[in-house]
Amino acid sequence: MQSYWFGDMADGTCQPCTGDAGTLADRARSLETSMDKFAPPDWQVAVACGACRDRADYLAKLREVCFLVAEHRIREKYSGRDVELLQMTRTLDELDTVINLLTGRMAEWYQTRHPAFSRKFRRFDARTLVRTMSRRSGGALGRVTGDIERLSATRTALAREVSARAEVVMPNCSALIGGLVAARLLLHAGGLEPLARLPGSAIQVLGARAALFSHLCARTPCPKHGIIFQHRRVHNAPQQVRGKVARVLAAKLAIAARLDLYRCVAVPEFIERSQARIDAAGVVP
Amino acid sequence: MIWIDGVLVSRGLGGVYGERMLSNARIWDPYRSKLSALYHQKKGVELEPDMRVLYLGAAHGTTVSHVADYVEVVYAVEIAARPMQDLLEVARRRTNVVPIMADAAQPEQYAPLVEPVDLVYQDVAQPDQVTIALANCIFLKPGGTLILMFKTRSVDTRKEPGIVFSDAVSHLTGEGRVVVRDSTWLAPYYRDHAAIICTKS
Repeated sequence: MQSYWFGDMADGTCQPCTGDAGTLADRARSLETSMDKFAPPDWQVAVACGACRDRADYLAKLREVCFLVAEHRIREKYSGRDVELLQMTRTLDELDTVINLLTGRMAEWYQTRHPAFSRKFRRFDARTLVRTMSRRSGGALGRVTGDIERLSATRTALAREVSARAEVVMPNCSALIGGLVAARLLLHAGGLEPLARLPGSAIQVLGARAALFSHLCARTPCPKHGIIFQHRRVHNAPQQVRGKVARVLAAKLAIAARLDLYRCVAVPEFIERSQARIDAAGVVP
Repeated sequence: MIWIDGVLVSRGLGGVYGERMLSNARIWDPYRSKLSALYHQKKGVELEPDMRVLYLGAAHGTTVSHVADYVEVVYAVEIAARPMQDLLEVARRRTNVVPIMADAAQPEQYAPLVEPVDLVYQDVAQPDQVTIALANCIFLKPGGTLILMFKTRSVDTRKEPGIVFSDAVSHLTGEGRVVVRDSTWLAPYYRDHAAIICTKS
């Protein structure tokens, strides 16, 4: 028997599928076809079958079914619990870029108004710099620096939201490296499922694409860590064991991602054992 | 194909992606569409009004909209949700586009929907592009054409594009399902991209 979107064909006779486009679409989504003896559908068969009047009607009905199937599949893809977290993390990283760019530009501008101003030997961070500039400046310079301040506040709030959401979506990964870094891993992998499919070695260098490809092409030293470097246990580790910490952490993250995908809850005994193992890797022999 | 003073165009409802118009026809930019680049290399097959086309890797429907201006019906296959939203919008305004959300590497997903076609056009960034193309030849009528936009860097970033290309050609002919009729590189429009034109035997 050969199944088509408009009905089933068996021994030269056709059984049209009755029902509206919605029924046909539901059926089309679940159709299983074996490809070895497959013959593509024929619109004339569909007409003879009584599924449609003519070619134009065939295409119109088929289109209606295809639209419904596609809309259903899009909804399905967007219903994943990681989908919004991906957008949030992307926005967060882009906010950082924008804030840095604008702050740098405004500092240049500010220095032309106040030639005696220099950041050398001053112990203040970027946020204080922006606040000083916005208090002391009028016009567009004052407005833009004010906007940067507001943007920074938005960024802080968003970071908190990302972290909280990551702890719900990926509780095990977040327990190991914190919500923010976990969310960035998720972003680079493209989702929870792709992340869970990655081996530990790939998670270890996720986000170190340039270094990895220059290693593969030009034989430069291979990267020891990508995004996971952002976690304190990697960047605070003594130089000689940093690679080892990154490797152990990444291996545990690979397991954690799978737990997150399939169990969706934190597994305390796993987290405890992993933390001990990662801490042990950071001890200089 | 319709050329106006050396500019490739298609006739249909404009404003799909902000394309420029020329004497009421839509300019088909070779830098934005690999199929247009192929026609600018004076290769490829004429698109006829009675043609049925299976388009794999339809993406946002930019090239699809031009192909749809020329032929009877386009079956546009795309897997990713985000471009599919745009493709649906294109298909809403072009009644000869059938949007199919499925994986081109798994023809069994959409086999019950696609009738026999005259042309299979494939533009997917996958390492197994040739396997995907061969699997989809099942929809091709005998004597029909397969145009494979071959991205050598998707197969192997490190290998020499020429080697990847000749491997692909021998893989295509080795199966015996298609005969490679013609091929060309798409430079200067696209780097490390080749077009392979085959006929189903």
